[in-house]
Amino acid sequence: MIFTLAILAPLAAAALILLLRRGASALALLGAGAGLAGASVTLARVSGGAYPSATLPGLPGLPLRLVAEPLTALLSVVVAVVGFLVLVYAVGYMKEEGGKARFYAEMSFFVAAMQTLVLAGDWVLLLASWELIGLASYLLIGFWFWREGIPQAATRAFLYTRTADLGLYVAIFVLVSRTGTTELSGTLAVGGTAATVAGLLLLVAAMGKSAQAPFQGWLQDAMAGPTPVSALLHSATLVAAGAILMIRVSPLLTPTAQLAVGLMGGLTIVVAGLIAVSQRDLKRLLAASTSSQYGFVLLAVGAGSPAAALLHLVAHAAMKSSLFLGAGIFQHARGSTAFEDLRGVGSERRLVFAGFVVAGLALAGVLPLSGFFSKDAVIAAAFASPYAPALAPFTLAGTLLTAVYVARTLRLLWRGEGEDEPVAGIGWMGVALAVLVGLAAVLGFAAEPLARLTGGEPPRDLATALLVLTLALAAGGLLLGWFVLAGRLLGPLGVPAEEGFRVAGGFDGLVARPALVLARMLDRLDRCIHAGVLGVGGLGLALARASRLADERGIDALIAALVRGLRELGGRARELQSGLVHRELLLAAAGAALILVLLVIGP
Amino acid sequence: MTFPIVSVTLFLPLLGAALLLLMRGSPPRVAHGVGIAFSGLTLLGALWMWARGVPTGEVGFSQVEEIPWIPSIGAAYRVGVDGVSLPLVLMTAVLFFVSLVFSAHVRERAGSYVALFLLLETACLGSFVALDMILFYVFFEVTLVGMYFIIAGWGYEGRQRAALTFFLYTLLGSLPLLLAILALYLGSEPNTFDVREIVAAPPLTGLAAMLALIAMLVTFFVKTPLFPVHTWLPLAHTEAPTAGSVILAGVLLKLGTYGLVRFALQMTPDAFRAAAPYVAALAVFSALYGAFVALGQTDLKRLVAYTSVNHMGYVVLGVAVAAAATDAGTRALALDGAVLQMVSHGVVTGALFLLVGMLQDRAHTREMREFGGLLRLVPVLGWFFVLAAFASLGLPGLAHFAAEFQIFLGTLAVYPVAAVVVLGIAVTAGLYLRAIQVAFLGKPSEDRVGMKDLGRRELLAVVPLLVLTVLLGVAPFLVLETVHATTRVLLP
Repeated sequence: MIFTLAILAPLAAAALILLLRRGASALALLGAGAGLAGASVTLARVSGGAYPSATLPGLPGLPLRLVAEPLTALLSVVVAVVGFLVLVYAVGYMKEEGGKARFYAEMSFFVAAMQTLVLAGDWVLLLASWELIGLASYLLIGFWFWREGIPQAATRAFLYTRTADLGLYVAIFVLVSRTGTTELSGTLAVGGTAATVAGLLLLVAAMGKSAQAPFQGWLQDAMAGPTPVSALLHSATLVAAGAILMIRVSPLLTPTAQLAVGLMGGLTIVVAGLIAVSQRDLKRLLAASTSSQYGFVLLAVGAGSPAAALLHLVAHAAMKSSLFLGAGIFQHARGSTAFEDLRGVGSERRLVFAGFVVAGLALAGVLPLSGFFSKDAVIAAAFASPYAPALAPFTLAGTLLTAVYVARTLRLLWRGEGEDEPVAGIGWMGVALAVLVGLAAVLGFAAEPLARLTGGEPPRDLATALLVLTLALAAGGLLLGWFVLAGRLLGPLGVPAEEGFRVAGGFDGLVARPALVLARMLDRLDRCIHAGVLGVGGLGLALARASRLADERGIDALIAALVRGLRELGGRARELQSGLVHRELLLAAAGAALILVLLVIGP
Repeated sequence: MTFPIVSVTLFLPLLGAALLLLMRGSPPRVAHGVGIAFSGLTLLGALWMWARGVPTGEVGFSQVEEIPWIPSIGAAYRVGVDGVSLPLVLMTAVLFFVSLVFSAHVRERAGSYVALFLLLETACLGSFVALDMILFYVFFEVTLVGMYFIIAGWGYEGRQRAALTFFLYTLLGSLPLLLAILALYLGSEPNTFDVREIVAAPPLTGLAAMLALIAMLVTFFVKTPLFPVHTWLPLAHTEAPTAGSVILAGVLLKLGTYGLVRFALQMTPDAFRAAAPYVAALAVFSALYGAFVALGQTDLKRLVAYTSVNHMGYVVLGVAVAAAATDAGTRALALDGAVLQMVSHGVVTGALFLLVGMLQDRAHTREMREFGGLLRLVPVLGWFFVLAAFASLGLPGLAHFAAEFQIFLGTLAVYPVAAVVVLGIAVTAGLYLRAIQVAFLGKPSEDRVGMKDLGRRELLAVVPLLVLTVLLGVAPFLVLETVHATTRVLLP
């Protein structure tokens, strides 16, 4: 079962690292490398027409399944490639950090859990791995858990996503109880209201994981973790999982659900794009950009073109991981990711900056880099869909916004001057960055074979007029971003955008704090109930005490008085029997007289 | 005749307790040695019973042992197991063993302490294996006595009051059960206390059955416990010694839900079916209520205690769904989940109470805000707590996930509205993550520097439970095979 190697190799690496506690980076690289080899061989086999699968014991009547189909095998390769390269990069990045065993074990576990998610063929295993990548990201975001603000960021990431995960839970219960099977492929044809309900619930879960509006807030806070974690999280694992889920269930979606998916994606493209334009921190900007780009993916699913969605997902994996790896090097050079501290870092580190520029321009959709093809595929799908009037404007606005924030980033990194520190482990980091940038540049040409492999319709080409329009939008955006300050560009939107458009305090204000208030109220109520029960018990005790008093003072006293009276009477009677004959004779005579009198006056 | 392993396992702890009474005045070391040895042998006996197993798909009980007792009224010493009770027997043996290992540091009146635990173990095992209603009732009541003395004798400051509250609450709660047992006895023809016969042909119908069911529900809801009769639980837990809490939450609460299946569900099935919507509604409310109140706690022990109200609410929901389900598949699914949830809760909550107790031994407080950064100070204790907390909040790969998945899946099929209960998993995530964030993450507080990490005794006590937590999560089928063999034919 070579295709399970993609899961088992990193998992074994994680276990070995925890056991041996040495050679952590080598073991992690070995595991990820073996996983990559396994995934590649599997993809080759699957493209040859053989679809391996495995069944594992699970719950009674609900076995667990792993399947390598074209889509899952391809995603498995994407995860393996990004995972491996990020680990190569991490060898350099983490060179001077402590806690290596924990870091590499958690990263390997993260990759293994994500591989399980993409290869899962049934809902139980998918749900399990869905939650486990949540755990892995919690642990990794909180890697430096003793530092200021990090515990809150980790907690928030897990809670946001888990709250949204309730959608996945209920969707699965709906699908499984309707179809009687947990096999993923067996539930997608359910149809009718159940399909709409399940589709909308799945959308909620996907929005949580992929940080779609209004759940976008946690992702920016999650930037507090090590940069390799961010790179992995954004491009191929946690955040990608939501989009991957929607691509996998796209056959299930009814027109209503499709429209909802498309609209939520479209909304996020714009909202997160505006947030990105206004950020003052490189990593926070990249985080908002990730939300926005997954908005494109969801919109493509909503437009009925999973092939375009997949293409943009894959291209984004390469582009965004490149950008993060570059950002990590800048971070090491300046000890910060705030733009203020990063001034001129690009002109100091030109080679890294060149890679960063290529990936950035790809993201902005500049010909012939990968983002151009993938974004145009999404735009074409939006225009061809029945909801074109609703969806297409979002894609055009998104193209403009992407170009603006890319150009703005490049300018902020290029201009100005700052103090550079030497960066340790630059070799490892550079190699990984170079490979990913290369992929980000050329992946666009893989559109055709990708579509052929997954058996979907190939993404449509844009009409010439539209092509000119999108290229003009990209070019215009780049110019705007380079020459016009963000504050002036956004106007009154600037401040709310920088704060991430938190409505009514965001998740904290709308969910977390009310829940805590409710909890405290119920706690007080509970103490009241307990006091009430104790009160009833106390009442019983009081009654008992009262009856004891009644016993002691009342009945007891009465009986005691009776006894005392009788004794006194007895005492008096005893005095009569004095033993003196004359007194007793007198008494006898008096008695006899009394009897005689009674007899005479009687009847 | 085969070796009577059920009876031997049942009375081994009592034998140990008797031995300790004979050896009064022996040093604590000897008393703990006897306790660990006898509970260890009991665990081996339970494993033997597990190895014998239960036959697949056969109605009724196996490994039955029977001796006449009071033949004139149809009461007898009858013990045996099925797929519902056998996992609980094994869980009980494990929890008593680790509790006695953990308790090895108790110096004060050690002989009496160990003897009480051993007495309590026989009573608990007896409740699970008894196949005679009188025998069950006797064991059921003896558990109260044992736990009363453990709380009153070795608890914290308010122990006297807590012990009395616990005792009166559950004693009054268990009287209705006696009435129900008598009603079942009088309704059976010929009159018998034999659980097997009552279960095979439920004797009561109509109003009599409903009244008997209500009486049983009162008893078992107090024990489980369910809102609004749960308030004895947090009080008893905060004052009980650590090992007492482990047994109280891990084993004694299961007597309530076990009784719910064995008595309420199996002996008055039609009445239960009629009452199922109300029971399910109460269970959903209780589960959510427990979760929210737990979120409002800052005392770690009270927090864990209230999550028990949450988790046990799921168990009751599973049983109610099984009672209402019309197809055998859903019924077995919900019951599988309920039984697995009982076992998972015993293991996970046992571990959590042990870990909180270890913290209290070190810091003499359980207030989470008085800690901070513990993960750096005591990494082993800290990571163990994180593991147990994630298990308790239902993370896949750990004990509770499979059980809760089955219960919720069954629930949605029978009562779609009750799916609102999944909110509980978000709330439990919130409360545990908050506790971890406040007490374990962040910068270590100055005055806790120098805190010692887990010692050998503590590791020996808690590691087995954590191993089981992972094992139940990764391979739930190890237990579910046994459970499912019975649940798929439990109701006709």
